[in-house]
Amino acid sequence: MYGWIWRHLPGNTWLKALLSLALVVGFVFLLFQYVFPWAEPLLPFNDVTVNEGMGAGSVSGPTGVAR
Amino acid sequence: MSTGTGREAVGATTDEDERTGNPQPAPRRRARRARRGLPARLAAAVSVAGELLITAGLILGLFVVYSLWWTNVQADKEARKQSDAVRDRWAGGPGALDTKDGIGFLHVPDMKSGQILVKKGTDPKTLNDGVAGYYTKPVKSALPEDGKGNFSLAAHRDGHGAQFHNIDKLKDGDPIVFESKDKWYIYKVYAKLAETSKYNVDVLDEVPKESGRKKPGSYITLTTCTPVYTSTYRYIVWGELDRIEKVDNQRTPPKELR
Repeated sequence: MYGWIWRHLPGNTWLKALLSLALVVGFVFLLFQYVFPWAEPLLPFNDVTVNEGMGAGSVSGPTGVAR
Repeated sequence: MSTGTGREAVGATTDEDERTGNPQPAPRRRARRARRGLPARLAAAVSVAGELLITAGLILGLFVVYSLWWTNVQADKEARKQSDAVRDRWAGGPGALDTKDGIGFLHVPDMKSGQILVKKGTDPKTLNDGVAGYYTKPVKSALPEDGKGNFSLAAHRDGHGAQFHNIDKLKDGDPIVFESKDKWYIYKVYAKLAETSKYNVDVLDEVPKESGRKKPGSYITLTTCTPVYTSTYRYIVWGELDRIEKVDNQRTPPKELR
């Protein structure tokens, strides 16, 4: 997979390395900016409030986030 | 490992072909690939699967970095901005109660988190800015100026400012000071629940019975998640109003904060 990407990057080794770095940075940016903020409420690490849960008919949205 | 070398060799040939402008007909390429046979293709598939697994591991690692570091960076910045806005509004001296942009600041010296801006609501959007929020549901919080009732707050234990990270350091008698525009409300911790269900909304009651109190009074309730880094349970700390001091022109803090 990574070999395939490397082979399909244009230019010599230095340019390839530079482009690879840019791809990695862009990927991490996408993760931090969009993917992680989206995933975080779906995971059970950061609910800090007490709430009535799903059974009591609280409006907690499709994700079941604690409100 | 051997697969890697093999594939690079193939890649080198392709690069060479492209560079010399020799458009290799697609069928020939396909034929060559077919000649590599089943073991080679199997090895390539295993290698791709392995790379995907490594990538997944790296992404999970990055998520930890995001949760425990980046959200703090962002929340601290946002909390500072919002706190400064409230301080600016209050700059003219004590004056009348002003609850716009946040009702005031929480100071808990034993938690070592500095001033914590308190805003309305406990939805993630509010709390993720590194502030504490007072409950509007399931049990509506009383506000300190109401006199009687339970002033119930929530904030993050980890990430997003982690304002209540050190909640487990609080002992009976420790001060929890709430600063509004015109008054200092000094509460003293008198009870805690180190672990309770996340559905235990009774802790927010006007008279929180689990804390041992039976009569109406001025209470404060801090809630956050526990154990650290997860939110399986909730950690509750209760305090009771000790006294109220008026804010003077220099905003001299009460002796608990000096």
